[in-house]
Amino acid sequence: MTPDSGSLVSLDGIHKTFFTRHFFYRENDDARRRIYVKKEVHAAQDINIDIAPGKIFGLLGPNGAGKTTTVKMISGLVKPDKGAVWVEGINVEKSRKEILKRIGVVLEGTRTTIWPLTPMENLRYYGNLKNVRGSVLKKRAHELLDFIGLSEKKDVQVRHMSRGQKQKLAICIALIADPKVILLDEPTTGLDVQSSRAIKDKIIEMTREHGKAVLVTTHDMHVAQELCDTIGIIDQGKLVTCKPMNELIEVFSESVFEFRVDEAPLLDPLRAIPGVVQAEVENGNQSNTKLLVLHLTPKEEFRSEALYNVVTHLRDCGIQLHSINQRQQNLESVFLQLTTSSI
Amino acid sequence: MGFFLVMKAEIIRSLIIMRRYWFRTLTGMAIGYGMLMVLIIGFMSSRDTITDAVDGRFADPTTATNFVLGFILGMFAFGVVGMFTQGIQGMAQSGVLEQLCMSPHGLIVNFLAKATVGAVTSVFYSGIMVWLVTISVNGVLYFDAFPVIVLLTLTFINLLGFGFMMGGLTLVFKQVGQVAILIRMALFALAIFAREELLEINFLISAVMHALPITDAAICLKYVLIYDQGAVNGEYASVFTHPSFYFLILNCVVWTSIGIACFKVMENWSRSRGTLGTY
Repeated sequence: MTPDSGSLVSLDGIHKTFFTRHFFYRENDDARRRIYVKKEVHAAQDINIDIAPGKIFGLLGPNGAGKTTTVKMISGLVKPDKGAVWVEGINVEKSRKEILKRIGVVLEGTRTTIWPLTPMENLRYYGNLKNVRGSVLKKRAHELLDFIGLSEKKDVQVRHMSRGQKQKLAICIALIADPKVILLDEPTTGLDVQSSRAIKDKIIEMTREHGKAVLVTTHDMHVAQELCDTIGIIDQGKLVTCKPMNELIEVFSESVFEFRVDEAPLLDPLRAIPGVVQAEVENGNQSNTKLLVLHLTPKEEFRSEALYNVVTHLRDCGIQLHSINQRQQNLESVFLQLTTSSI
Repeated sequence: MGFFLVMKAEIIRSLIIMRRYWFRTLTGMAIGYGMLMVLIIGFMSSRDTITDAVDGRFADPTTATNFVLGFILGMFAFGVVGMFTQGIQGMAQSGVLEQLCMSPHGLIVNFLAKATVGAVTSVFYSGIMVWLVTISVNGVLYFDAFPVIVLLTLTFINLLGFGFMMGGLTLVFKQVGQVAILIRMALFALAIFAREELLEINFLISAVMHALPITDAAICLKYVLIYDQGAVNGEYASVFTHPSFYFLILNCVVWTSIGIACFKVMENWSRSRGTLGTY
């Protein structure tokens, strides 16, 4: 299958399974047995992603969901078991060296930099490794340091720099060969508010103004919400949703309702009502009430009927209803709803 | 072309670090010299015991110079193979390995350039060390530039192949780096004690010695630097006609082919296992 012609990066049904091997002890009636276990870990299961130029794609997921593995498969560090990764229409597995000229990767931020060297020396070193040389390299190194705000530190050894500055330098290193595709693995983890803000601004600037395609993995929902045009949520290797940010939040906001009631109803009959996807009871802020939270179908035409049936059911059960509100969703609550199974 | 570009980057990086950490560089050399002298003094005082223990097989006079050269060669072998094993481990920990893996020049070219720069630096230091120690023990070294350069280059190529093989294993199994210390120690000992008499014990030992990557190189280098290419009454028996020289060339071809093939296979395997660039 060929990639989407409008995308700079296309992941076409990629799968990756790792095997872990370990021993554990099982207590039998009279003996303690040592058992060898080989376990399959699905890091990617049929993942399909497209990233267009000038767009930021956010890949979210709990720890061990497969985010970093996905980044590594795009950058050729990990070979997919099945499926294909395309960058600018070129298959990563078939032309790996060609792809490496076109992508810049920041993996776990500050580890990339060589600490006894200055930022300028780091950029020249990595520039040569990326096949950039001479005056082009020198000019680009200066431009990048200006762009990211490290010009004043260009002659300071990296070991004397702060974590945020090291992270900025790692981004510069990823950009030194002027790649069209940039992969950022947790770019703001561990940074203070100012550094995080500065890096977010730079990511947005390079994407919008220079037409790069950016993939960001993050745990920080605020970062994702501010940065990303499209969000993919990955859980246990599966892409559970992949939608434009606004659409994702809208869909979930419209379908979650809070019913303030005087006593908790039985949940199973509620769940049996057509159009009710999920029902749970939370303790309300007021001590004498309960909060019944219902996730209704995203299909608008069925939602009103489902709401009517829920209200009728509560009245038939003799439960007093104080208020009904539509719950305002943010990315964090959407994320939690979609990944609860693994937490 | 990529090789020279990476080599240039490596040279600049090494020189900057050497200059920036000049105190460490100088003290490293002083400590190396001191350790070597202590070892030589210790070896010289127990030489008779060692000679007796091997039943007179090393009956020819083992000079301090021989020991020094063997020691330095051993250090060289230890260092070159270490660049691939401990080096890969270290780079994996610092995250630099991931960047090397993502260099369009390819991992083999990157390591080749790194190892070449490392070897040249090592030869430079070792040369100074051999010279200093030889003067200190009143020894004599016969330095014939052409054969020495040829032999050092072949020694390096020979070790490179072995290093690539060990490095490939380290890419997949990072813990191999620790086990490789034992192998490097064995190479070290071999470089010190390698001599023609070892090849004459029996066929099996001779075959194993020829197959190992440092034996013939050490014999040839000692033949040039210590025995002045077997000079008798001003007549030279050139090292280029010495049987060990031919074995050295054969060794280079075989080990380099095995090493690079093994490294490529291991690189692919480590990509499948997801261990490339990780620690």
